[in-house]
Amino acid sequence: MRTTTRAALAAWLDTLADSRAVIAPQQVERDLLYRQVTSSSQVVFDFERTVASPKTFFLPDTEVILEIERRGSRAELVEPALIREQVVFGMRPCDARALLVLDALLLGRPPPDAYYAERRAKTALIGLACPRMWAGCFCTSVGGAPDDASAVDVMLYEDAGQYLVQGVTPKGAELLESLAAAETDRHPSPSDRSGNAPVEVTPPHDWLALFDDPYWQRLAERCLSCHACTYVCPTCRCFDVRDDAPAAGPGSVHVQRLRSWDSCMSAGYRRIAGGHNPRPTKAQRLRNRYYCKFCYSPLDFGVVACVGCGRCSSACPVDVDVAEMLDDLKEQRMRAGQ
Amino acid sequence: MSEEIQQAIRIRAKELLKLGEVGCVIGFERGRQPAGTGRHPALARTRPAFVYDPADVDRLVWDQTCSQNLVVYLHPEAALGAAEKAHHRVGLVARPCDVRALNVLIHEGQVARDRVFVIGVACPGMSDGQEIQAQCRRCRERVPLFYDALVGKPPKAEVVVDAYADVTEFEALSAAERLAFWTGQFDRCIRCYACRQACPGCYCSECLAEQVDPAWLTIAHTVPQKAFFHVMRAYHLAGRCAECHACESACPMHLPLSLLNRMIAREVKALFGTVAGTDQQARPPLATFRRDEEWPI
Repeated sequence: MRTTTRAALAAWLDTLADSRAVIAPQQVERDLLYRQVTSSSQVVFDFERTVASPKTFFLPDTEVILEIERRGSRAELVEPALIREQVVFGMRPCDARALLVLDALLLGRPPPDAYYAERRAKTALIGLACPRMWAGCFCTSVGGAPDDASAVDVMLYEDAGQYLVQGVTPKGAELLESLAAAETDRHPSPSDRSGNAPVEVTPPHDWLALFDDPYWQRLAERCLSCHACTYVCPTCRCFDVRDDAPAAGPGSVHVQRLRSWDSCMSAGYRRIAGGHNPRPTKAQRLRNRYYCKFCYSPLDFGVVACVGCGRCSSACPVDVDVAEMLDDLKEQRMRAGQ
Repeated sequence: MSEEIQQAIRIRAKELLKLGEVGCVIGFERGRQPAGTGRHPALARTRPAFVYDPADVDRLVWDQTCSQNLVVYLHPEAALGAAEKAHHRVGLVARPCDVRALNVLIHEGQVARDRVFVIGVACPGMSDGQEIQAQCRRCRERVPLFYDALVGKPPKAEVVVDAYADVTEFEALSAAERLAFWTGQFDRCIRCYACRQACPGCYCSECLAEQVDPAWLTIAHTVPQKAFFHVMRAYHLAGRCAECHACESACPMHLPLSLLNRMIAREVKALFGTVAGTDQQARPPLATFRRDEEWPI
């Protein structure tokens, strides 16, 4: 284990920024967000949780995946170059774990999502352990831990005004070559897990019997059908692909194929040609989001697609709370004598 | 004050449900999430509640964090809970701004007045835990324009003299400064549509922002697309926005969206002398045509 100071971390980030994009928590007006930073002076080191996850740096909210130019009688298809190397600083263990979930869902079986795969491969993760659980989060109930280093390349632990540094992967060890840090025999003390009562997650198979439970209707009454929960979520990954033809010069046509986030909370998400909508009510849509996380993903891909960050619950304008839902389901099962 | 209102809401709700006057009372309940997770970090969360059983009325609470506009749940698209019969009357806890929004929907033929039993709240204003929120300091109505029952006593409240002072101040900035301001705001927008979904005035079954043919907007989360959406929404609320701030309260990224709406509201007031939802008789200005009126086009 090595130890370093915040000043040394800042200098390191500035060095890293010379050769790659550095993404870090930044205060943008009232919101703390992951943003690309150009100087370590923009980085917020002391924080709890950002409003949205850093998902957009792996699955951008919008990307152009193909450009089509017509020049005279020829059409040219261009695949835009993807990103250069990037590093995400201040990755919380839950968000890092979310990438393992996305790996399983997007790369676990063919065909892999090539765009995600490239960003994932070109990104190094510098984790920052949570010294304790924050209001409303429950990572320990879904297999994570506030000091879990298993999904990052470098892990930092706050330690009496300094930081303990652990190189987790060879990629991380290489990054650490430029960090000024001293050897120490200190070890990180385990994070405080006592703050939040654990949530009992209903096992995937037990969800099947609850599909037609009137509970979903009741829970969804206040749901506004906005996309906030899905867009701040580190594992929601649905997207839409459409072509757009921005204005081009006379005689030429320029078409962009866009891939952007989409949300299963949207009324039109499942609408198909001819107008039929197999999931027309908001209760069906809200239920689907939770089943995707806790039933379908575990059964089909072997991963629970919730990392307990609590962002959906805190972003929800009407307090639809995933932890409360899990507790309600447990009660429901007990009542049904499961 | 809040305690008194809460008690009165419970009593009224119980009576309405017992007598079968309404099938459901839509009010607020205390959420479970701890302080620190909501929009007002210091306060425990309240949220919309749907009460069907007179035995459940003690779920209903009222305090100065009950800032959602429950009128959205009267939209046909919102499809209330299973127990709510589509044509049954509902009881609705409503502040003065909520009633303004309801008035707009009634004028626009979206909600029949007799479908709603309005439990009007004499409103002391919403608070972020420290002070009364800006929109409530601007609000000129302490008592709703109409109601079927009134709870609470009209509070004395200081009202800001010039309700559009901040709009005027913003307008004094140069065009470049204003553009930079909004570019920064829209950059933060995640296009989640929470503003639209929380807005009583947004009830189109297909929003222009999501229309496919023609596709007015692309699916891109870029500043121009997001700006188009927000400006379009503000225009569609011209003369209709009740200034309830439900859009801002719902926004997870804290965009000052009502500044757009209020800039237009000020124009409407200057041109037509009306403020949306404040008159039960007057026709909405932009849905009215008079033979004798002449406007330079």
